[in-house]
Amino acid sequence: MRLFQDRPSWRNFLRWFIPLKRKTGSWAFVLNRVTALGLLFYLCLHLVMLYQLAQGPQAYDSFIAFAKSPIIKFSEMFVIAGGILHGLNGVRIILNSFGIGVRRQKVLFYSLMTIAAVGISFFAYRMFFGA
Amino acid sequence: MNKVLQNQERTGLWLIKIGSGVVVFFVLAIHLVVNHLAAPEGLLLYEDVVNYYRNPIVPVMEVIFLIVVISHALAGFRSILMDLNLPARLQRWIDALLMIVGTAGIVYGTWLVVVIVSRGKGL
Repeated sequence: MRLFQDRPSWRNFLRWFIPLKRKTGSWAFVLNRVTALGLLFYLCLHLVMLYQLAQGPQAYDSFIAFAKSPIIKFSEMFVIAGGILHGLNGVRIILNSFGIGVRRQKVLFYSLMTIAAVGISFFAYRMFFGA
Repeated sequence: MNKVLQNQERTGLWLIKIGSGVVVFFVLAIHLVVNHLAAPEGLLLYEDVVNYYRNPIVPVMEVIFLIVVISHALAGFRSILMDLNLPARLQRWIDALLMIVGTAGIVYGTWLVVVIVSRGKGL
């Protein structure tokens, strides 16, 4: 089976999970796609869960009490991390698409990922140890 | 035109994806700050949500957020599906399905916003 081919194919999906011979740009591409799928799944879940609001205060507040459990908060941290990573990686894609920072893609990617790491740490601290 | 070219993303859709991405980036920042930083323990209770929606800017902002986030998500999902190089006919069915899902999501979300706003008017 030819795993590596240039034209689009369903087999290319498998390439996302093969860490061999991967360069920074390729990691950035995989990060964008994986976080996109995760966020799409969360968006569907989020819209469905918000139906509790229409059911009234009792239904919604008991759902919120459940959502404050450590395991849900931990999962939510993944969503926030996914959002920050996808958003900042998207900024790089937009800049590159308009010809900005194309020659310094690697520096741009690592700089934005450093900002993402700071942002994720900040949210994690506030969510788990904040007032 | 060969199959690979048929499945390419058109400029208009690409611009929608990029433009909606920029809007999502900024509105999501507000959404995260209000719902996860300002709120006690990172989540708003029912009464807080209803009070938050009493500000007339909030429902408008949230509906705009809903439209752009669904557009961005589904346009992005379509891009991922295009990587699979699906047959053109299947791709057309998927496009129609994504349009229906997107429209349903926007209608449902807008209805939910209207419900929350109406609850706030009684207070």
